[in-house]
Amino acid sequence: MCGTTEISAPDRASGSSPGTSRTVMKYIYRLVYIVMPAAIAMAFLYAPPAEGLGESSRLLYFHVPLAWVSVLAFSISGVLSVLFLFTGNGERRELVHAAHNSAAIGLLFTVLATFSGSVWSKLSWGAYWNWDPRQTSIIVLMLVYIAYFSLESALRENPSRQRIVSAYLVFAMVTVPFFVFVVPRIFPSLHPDPVINADRQVHLESAMKISLMTAIAAFTLLYGYILNLANRVSAINEQKKGDLR
Amino acid sequence: MVKTIIAHIKKDFRIEFRNRYAVSVSFSFAFTTTLAISLAAGGIPFSPQTHAVILWVIMFFTAMSGLAHIFVREEDRGTSLFLRLNSPALAVFTAKLLYNVLLFFVLQCMILPVYLFFMQLDVQSPLFFLGYVFLGGIALSSSLTILAAIVARAGARGALFPVISLPVSLPVLWVVIQGTSRSLGRAGFSSPGDMVFLLAFSGTITAVSYLLFEFVWHD
Repeated sequence: MCGTTEISAPDRASGSSPGTSRTVMKYIYRLVYIVMPAAIAMAFLYAPPAEGLGESSRLLYFHVPLAWVSVLAFSISGVLSVLFLFTGNGERRELVHAAHNSAAIGLLFTVLATFSGSVWSKLSWGAYWNWDPRQTSIIVLMLVYIAYFSLESALRENPSRQRIVSAYLVFAMVTVPFFVFVVPRIFPSLHPDPVINADRQVHLESAMKISLMTAIAAFTLLYGYILNLANRVSAINEQKKGDLR
Repeated sequence: MVKTIIAHIKKDFRIEFRNRYAVSVSFSFAFTTTLAISLAAGGIPFSPQTHAVILWVIMFFTAMSGLAHIFVREEDRGTSLFLRLNSPALAVFTAKLLYNVLLFFVLQCMILPVYLFFMQLDVQSPLFFLGYVFLGGIALSSSLTILAAIVARAGARGALFPVISLPVSLPVLWVVIQGTSRSLGRAGFSSPGDMVFLLAFSGTITAVSYLLFEFVWHD
């Protein structure tokens, strides 16, 4: 995944080389070249406009996937940090780089989700920002990422930096469900029902549902594609540092 | 283990009462801010929501000025290495956590009368008001203790602590401000949901902090 040449334990056990799994993942991520244009075309040409919202409802096919990838990226950076801390005695530095890259991509997607959400808010409620519980959740998620990068900069000279920033990412990941899933359910919100709701159903008509699911798949693949590229760049940089030493 | 924890708490309180740094700085901050707001308001009555916001902003920044000190002091004096060598991480964290919870409780007991007096606040449901204030205090101090340990290991500690603490503390502030506002107004106590949230948050954060402290504490 991160471009390292060593064969990991699970790969040895399964008999497959890391190169094979990397190649498979690379081809899966390349599906984004097909799925993303399809998702954009479906959002504008296939899905009907929502009743009451009109053409502005097409923002749904971009805003929801962006918010989904923000939470996904943050969760993956947390999970990678857990793996770094609790497995391999802190030797698997590529996990820290992958967690960092995932957080960086997550920050970008969070900014885009906040921006698209505020445009939708203006079109639906008449104001760009009104501290709705879901708007507050996304801005807090952005603050968590910003705090992570500030902490990382402050620890630049510290030899235990990787362990400490990983611990912060895990700690932050644990607090995320409280303000993404719990707080918006305690306080009343103007935001439409979340896609994953108490009924465990998507409240959309079928053409809209298919378009939304395609958009979510496309943005998830885009996230995987960018993360893969970023991890390869990190691996090359690490190799360069090793060569200089 | 229990003896070690008690010994650490005693030591920390003894050092605090010797120089009274955290208590005096935090209380001075809260006192000055309350006076400044009261003076600026000039007797204009605030709504319960505004009072709840002001009170918890003061509480949050009081916590910012006092709660990081417990770990920063160990790093500054060079005693953290001694602690790492002589005490298990679990005992150190438990002692620091209990110290911070107790210290913030003491600070809240000092801040509340000052705020109630100068802001001429009339509390409609005193029991629930105190419940929200002290549960919020426990949730804040339990989440800030591990962050204090993280900040103590970094440079630019003074600026960094609020930056990394605010996003993590916001769920607590969000819930506790609404609860405090209701207890100040006529709405009183409406549902146990937010109190359960504060307890669940404190419990989860404390459990995760125990798991992570060893990684933060040891080199």
